Amino acid sequence: MNCELAHERIVMAAYGELPDDAAHELERHVASCPACHTEREQVRALKLLADAYPMEEPTANLMARSRLRLEDALDALPPKTWLERFAQRLGNNFATLQAAPAAACLLLLMGAGAGALGGYHVAQSRAAQDGALAQALRTPVPPQDNPAEGVANISSIIRQPNSEQVEVRYNRLVPAELKGSLDDPDIRQLLMLASGNTTSDNVHVRSVELLADECAAGHGCNGEGMRDVLMFVLRYDRDSGVRLKALQGLERYVAEDVRVRDAVLEALLNDNDPHIRTAAINMLGPVDADTTVRQVLHTVAHSDRNPQIRLVSRQVLSRVPEFQ
Amino acid sequence: MDGPNRGQKRLEARRPETELIREAQAGSRAAFDALVKQYEAQVLRLALHLTGSEHDAEDIYQEAFLKAYRYIGNFRFECSFYTWIYRIVTNLCLDQLRRRKTRREDQAVILDHSGDEIDVLASVSDERSFSNPAKELDRKVLATRIQEALGKLTPRERMVFELKHYQGLRLRTIGEMLNTTEETAKNTLFRATKKLRAQLAGLR
Repeated sequence: MNCELAHERIVMAAYGELPDDAAHELERHVASCPACHTEREQVRALKLLADAYPMEEPTANLMARSRLRLEDALDALPPKTWLERFAQRLGNNFATLQAAPAAACLLLLMGAGAGALGGYHVAQSRAAQDGALAQALRTPVPPQDNPAEGVANISSIIRQPNSEQVEVRYNRLVPAELKGSLDDPDIRQLLMLASGNTTSDNVHVRSVELLADECAAGHGCNGEGMRDVLMFVLRYDRDSGVRLKALQGLERYVAEDVRVRDAVLEALLNDNDPHIRTAAINMLGPVDADTTVRQVLHTVAHSDRNPQIRLVSRQVLSRVPEFQ
Repeated sequence: MDGPNRGQKRLEARRPETELIREAQAGSRAAFDALVKQYEAQVLRLALHLTGSEHDAEDIYQEAFLKAYRYIGNFRFECSFYTWIYRIVTNLCLDQLRRRKTRREDQAVILDHSGDEIDVLASVSDERSFSNPAKELDRKVLATRIQEALGKLTPRERMVFELKHYQGLRLRTIGEMLNTTEETAKNTLFRATKKLRAQLAGLR
């Protein structure tokens, strides 16, 4: 064991994080190395010193004040609608059924149906506010060639007494479209919604591409929203091509936004696609002043399983003066 | 057998919290309030020690539990609720530390809600404190120096050191809370201790 490694292990041992066999090896080294023995004493002294700034229990006043303020804030929040609770529960159930494809498919179909119903209810409440819904219900629906086309659900069936006459009320899906510039906030909002669309790969991929291109060009990607969407896609999307696109869209913001930087570091450490990891390494070069970035690059350069990743990390590190 | 019984007991001890979480997810405010009561002291303690300000600690407490309330439906029991709530709190504390770094604030003392200084060591019991006033002053000066040295760490280094040294968490847990690896947390701790030793060299 060399002294550099021993110094790291001394800190881990001081905090109870060293496995027994490594601790035994360290003990043998320290017994024969005065410098490391001194190092260990200094680490122990640091621990004692740090305890001179003790953790204090919050006062009863602070607790009471904080709790009261939280209660007021929670009381002021509007209650969740049944749709929001249902969607949340659906999401939770879907996650637990990931290992059961058949059941997951069934749940997906149920979710799609519930989503359509939910979409109708949202549209209905908006129309009611404008008064348009009341007018639409009084207006007879023109006969369709295929009345079942575009039907979301049947809301009621009423048969006239002693008659063959039946009144069926149904709700229809209303397709809509919006045309506009990529700078239009409404277009951007729809694109961000589309990035979470799991029913159509084409829509999902296209939306991420457009958002990433806009961010890469620096077009209004400064507030929350588009950057958060791209970071989410980079972290969780299953398609490596889409993740790479999201990463490219975020490149411009690595230096100024620590959240973006952290997302890129996570991609470097956790992504299973070497192209993405290589791209992440090359993006981190300009922010080598960040000690976390340097440390991650250092770790990857020395211990990553992929030799190409190790090589690229070393190349970036070689451009950082302190590591030469 | 002791092993399985201990596992069973641990499971039973956790069940009430699991039930509380499910009830809170279903919309029960009482269940959420019970969860808050279980974790509020730890949250405040961490925020207060990190920020040195009662006002900032209150803000972090408020934001953390409001976020928890808003997103509790997304909690999928993939980690413990403790880790989940701490993840929210540590991210808020990190944001606060980063804002301070940007504004170059130097919070060397703890402030109460009206902005007056709190004597950190005044509430320390007699068993711990020295009866000698001169030594008491030394301890206060020392505490201030420690705070200053901690303030010179990067936000991440400060957070890892806080969670490891003062909260006693495992590095693996710290990695989960900060959404990074155990190895990264380990390296960050090592860097933090090196910097602190350099800052505090000469103190006895």
